[in-house]
Amino acid sequence: MTASKAGTATEHPSSPAARVALRVRGAVFSPVTVSVVAALILGAIILAGTGADPLTAYGSVLTGAFGSEGIGDTLGECIPIVGLALALAIPLRAGLVNLGGDGQLVLGGLAAVSVGLYSPFPSAVTVVLALLAGMLAGGLWAALAAVLETRCGVPLLVSSLLLSYPAMSFVSYMVRFPLLQKGSGIPQTERLPEGVKLPEFAAGSGAGTGVSVGIVLIVLAAVIYFVVDHRTAAGYEVRMTGLGARFAGYAGVDRSRLTLRLMFASGSLAGLVGAITVLGFPYRMVDGALTTPGYTWTGLLAALLAAASPVGTVAAGFFFSALTIGGFGMEQETAVPQQLTAVLQAVVILFLAVRGGVFRKGGWLRRFGRGPDTAGHPPPDPEAGVLDTGMLTTGVLDTGVAGPPAPARGDGGK
Amino acid sequence: MNDQHAAAPGDIAEVEMRGIVRRFPGVLANDRVDLRVASGEIHAVMGENGAGKSTLMSILYGLQRPDAGRILLRGTEHSFGSPVQAIAAGLGMVHQGFKLFPSLTVTENVVYGSEPTRRGLVDRATARARVAELVDTHGLHVPPDARVADLPIGVQQRVEILKLLYRDARVLILDEPTAVLTPAEADRLLAVIRGLARSGRTILLVTHKLGEVMAVSDRVTVLRDGRVTARLATAETTPAEIALAMTGRRIDLDRTHPAGTPAADVLEVRGLTVSAGRGAKPLVENVSLTVRAGEIVGVAGVAGNGQSELVEALAGLRPIDAGRVLVAGRDVGDASVQQRRRAGLAYVPEDRATVGAARDASLADNLAMGFHRTPPLAGRGGFLRRAAIREHAARVIERFGVKAASSAVTIGTLSGGNQQKAILGREITHDAPLLLVEQPTRGVDIGSIENIHARLVEYRDAGHGVLLVSAELSEILALSDRVLVMYEGRIVAELPRAEADVHAIGLAMAGGDPTRSAAAADPDAGDDASSTAPTTAHQV
Amino acid sequence: MSFDAELIFSALRALTPILFAALGGALCERAGVFNVSLEGTMLIGCFAAVTGSWFGGSVWVGVISAVLAAMVFSLLLAIGAVTLGADAVVLCIALNLLAVGLTGFLLRTIFGKQGTFGDPDLKGLQPVDIPGLESVPFLGRALSGHSPLVYLSWVAVVVIAVLLSRHPWGVRLRGVGEAPEAAQSLGVSVARYRYAAILTSGALCGLAGAQLALGNVTLFSENMTAGRGWIAVVAVMLGRALPIGVLLAGILFGLVEAVGFRLQGEGMPQQAADAAPYVMTLVALFLATRSRARRGAAAPPGRLTGRIPRPRRFARTTSESQS
Repeated sequence: MTASKAGTATEHPSSPAARVALRVRGAVFSPVTVSVVAALILGAIILAGTGADPLTAYGSVLTGAFGSEGIGDTLGECIPIVGLALALAIPLRAGLVNLGGDGQLVLGGLAAVSVGLYSPFPSAVTVVLALLAGMLAGGLWAALAAVLETRCGVPLLVSSLLLSYPAMSFVSYMVRFPLLQKGSGIPQTERLPEGVKLPEFAAGSGAGTGVSVGIVLIVLAAVIYFVVDHRTAAGYEVRMTGLGARFAGYAGVDRSRLTLRLMFASGSLAGLVGAITVLGFPYRMVDGALTTPGYTWTGLLAALLAAASPVGTVAAGFFFSALTIGGFGMEQETAVPQQLTAVLQAVVILFLAVRGGVFRKGGWLRRFGRGPDTAGHPPPDPEAGVLDTGMLTTGVLDTGVAGPPAPARGDGGK
Repeated sequence: MNDQHAAAPGDIAEVEMRGIVRRFPGVLANDRVDLRVASGEIHAVMGENGAGKSTLMSILYGLQRPDAGRILLRGTEHSFGSPVQAIAAGLGMVHQGFKLFPSLTVTENVVYGSEPTRRGLVDRATARARVAELVDTHGLHVPPDARVADLPIGVQQRVEILKLLYRDARVLILDEPTAVLTPAEADRLLAVIRGLARSGRTILLVTHKLGEVMAVSDRVTVLRDGRVTARLATAETTPAEIALAMTGRRIDLDRTHPAGTPAADVLEVRGLTVSAGRGAKPLVENVSLTVRAGEIVGVAGVAGNGQSELVEALAGLRPIDAGRVLVAGRDVGDASVQQRRRAGLAYVPEDRATVGAARDASLADNLAMGFHRTPPLAGRGGFLRRAAIREHAARVIERFGVKAASSAVTIGTLSGGNQQKAILGREITHDAPLLLVEQPTRGVDIGSIENIHARLVEYRDAGHGVLLVSAELSEILALSDRVLVMYEGRIVAELPRAEADVHAIGLAMAGGDPTRSAAAADPDAGDDASSTAPTTAHQV
Repeated sequence: MSFDAELIFSALRALTPILFAALGGALCERAGVFNVSLEGTMLIGCFAAVTGSWFGGSVWVGVISAVLAAMVFSLLLAIGAVTLGADAVVLCIALNLLAVGLTGFLLRTIFGKQGTFGDPDLKGLQPVDIPGLESVPFLGRALSGHSPLVYLSWVAVVVIAVLLSRHPWGVRLRGVGEAPEAAQSLGVSVARYRYAAILTSGALCGLAGAQLALGNVTLFSENMTAGRGWIAVVAVMLGRALPIGVLLAGILFGLVEAVGFRLQGEGMPQQAADAAPYVMTLVALFLATRSRARRGAAAPPGRLTGRIPRPRRFARTTSESQS
């Protein structure tokens, strides 16, 4: 197998035009494109099944998301979705799954709103402090999940998710009781003092667009992620850990420390998203407002779709934001429930998982767990079991499949 | 083919393989191989690593399809698509890596897949009785109720044999069965094999050990480079004749490199112990050794005697329970992997696919590992210089003759030999005083083997120390200035280059004392040295 | 707060969905499939149960629909993970999301409701009084009067325990999970057993959903499983994928939920009660791994889990990096 593959790799097209053509063809037929198209086709079938005209419905998704009415909402939606997609992509790049985005998000929001309400400093300083507090809160909570894995052997997937629920309960309690707006029937905090907010972009005539400068922070985060991932030694180590955790460990990358740092960065970004959100309209924290839309899950799907690559994550996040906002447009136009977009998002990943090479055993995310090793397939990937223990089932339950056959003694078969 | 001892015409062989051909890219693993095994005999299939023994057995057992050739069992032609069909036809194979369920009991393992049942549930009593009966009949001495995980390797192997007997296998294929056994266990296994043959079963013994072939087999088929080079009756042949058929006129790798000139210590290990857990026997026990600059120290031993654990402990991948480790004079006992590397250690691991490399990362990224934090690959502030990474990769690729289309291809697409050259190149480029090398040529083609050996010697001559762990005795002998032998986690012998020969090392590997009875210990030793091949007619 | 029969009663009721799902998870675990789609599959079960009961006019139609729908849903996992070789965890994450989206979507399209659907005419599971038991002083009130699915879950524990330990199917399933290549070499189809485990797990999650939506309450609301599927995943870990172990872990969570609910009635904020099972879960996991780390050195790895991991050369597992 090896020889033939190496052989095809030598066929590099010489002319630039041919190279571009190859790239275009690669993009068009990439698993991601195929999965998205397949999901859209399935969506069309569902739409037809509910009696709606798929073309009209998809048209209304487009106008809803990108029309003059919708584009601002789409960009606004990008703050939480792209923000969380980036947040979750950071550990995912090393093969670590942070399922606790919701908890980190709401803690970030709570920390920011608390600072915003009680800070004695001028409003500009308060805004900065609130953002930092949000990042710190989210980051520490995520780091706790990392510690639970590296110190106590609770798999990160589980520890991060389980920590999320008490965080949400705690924030809900804080919003509904200590911080509750007096005399309000709605479970929300007091409004932040005048001036304690992220300014909004003006839409020409001075009217607000609903898009706060928070989007600049998200773009900044994306740029930093891109640079670190592509251009720094630290990013290199993260990528190598994602591609081969044992290789990285062998070469001296300290996995526990890496997990802790990535989770802190991840949680910080999630917390920042929470902070940005409460510092925007309606300038307060409303119980459930951050978690009900399921930003975390949409963001995780976007990160998975992009295999956590920086540019791809932003693109996928934008795509899902547009789909979400467009879904509301579709609902108004065609009465097809907007939940369909959530279905489509999940279906994209399903298709990608089964169709694409990236998630396959032996592919990019093989560390995620035991794929099937039915006979007839190559012998079990020696890495899979080891990584399992590192991430999914550390300590608590040894699920490692019993020993792989010793490396072939090279008798003939190569 | 000149087969003096062929059965009389019309006599039906238990197993007959005719004209088996099997090609792999670049290799002809089996080249028109004929194999004829009479009923009830112990038939050894011999050859060095890479001779095509395992391929032939895989074809017989339905694991691989031949490109040409026929298989006949008792005169009936068969074509097995899977081992399941082979089992149904009365074949059974004990693989080198056992296929057992460690958490299940012996009985459960044996009856798995064809359990006796009573009222729908597994009839444990009957299953146990049947297994116990088989154990008694064949003198296997296996406790039917023990969990397999709790049993020593030798007993686990007999569980594998039990599985075959339970399924009424008439032909048992044993693939290098003694490779993982201690001498005592191996003797016991050979006794079992004899007993099985007496009870009418046919045994195919795949091995490259002369001693056991002489001890148990009735007849021998020798393979070399995919072809049959001899068919012999054991009683009428000598070890020397078989050895000649195995090796032919191939250039021996032994002793082709001049000795090194050792200087100061680069590795000093004192009383190193690595435990397997409280109460269990340590994996590495009280090991002391030194490696000096300008020498290659070989660590020989049967696989699983603590060599891997020793190297991992030295590299920082396995915690140390006691002892001191000094790399280039610095105590690194508690140091992290990175600190050890900084102290002056590079490491070529045994498992190159997942430990030595990230298969899906590019060759350039793989080669950059370890260089990525310092100039010239990294600039100020930890920023990588991509051009420098490409140049670095190009240098290693060129210097070590890695065959790859470009440094942008993923390393997993390269052949085993090229992967290994890339990894070795990366580690050598670190220019560390101490290089740990594990199984450097396992699964590597012949051309690359010579290249890799030359690189290691070159590295030594440049004034570095090398600790070489290899299961290939020939490799140890070819490269080492000093040979250490590990047995059950301890170093049981240290032999200077002059005294290190196959017999001395072989004896120590088996737990014997080579200093006391060097040559006399092995009855084959005398024959081997003196006799010339009497029947060259068997040579193809 | 008193530790009385009503508390046990509500603990057992809270336990049931978790227990069903965890039994399913345990089967998958035993077959070597890390199934974290229990949450989504259970949610599908909830929705199908309510839909079936509403349109079929009978609670049993609801239960059967729940089982079938959840099995169909888990078939996606089986096809993806077993046949197509996709990564099970990624698939499961997507499936969980699909379940949320799909049930929300169908809630709108079928019932025209957003958030919650409940109706006085919706038929729920009726309590069953166990003759003889109901008159026993303490036990009667604790154990009698549950929905039939509660009793079915207890039966399921026993059946699955026997299946795994004594039935050829169960023994082979364990082998498939522990050493697939060994199983395959003896002619046992790894794929077939994994399909069976995943589909059975789907059916059990369907029952979990039915109990949740038609037993514990009589309505469907979006995301009503609220993490119970994840607690089931943890129960599988704590119970070491043994039916009895899973039961014990489930009882722990059921008790915590019941106690939380009770305390809520006595003035504790609802949020504390909501958080309690998760905090309990984390503490339990923490303690389990702690004690394991302490004993770990004594016993060979795998003894405590009933499984032998492969020799893990560089697996810098937690216990190692701790030392």
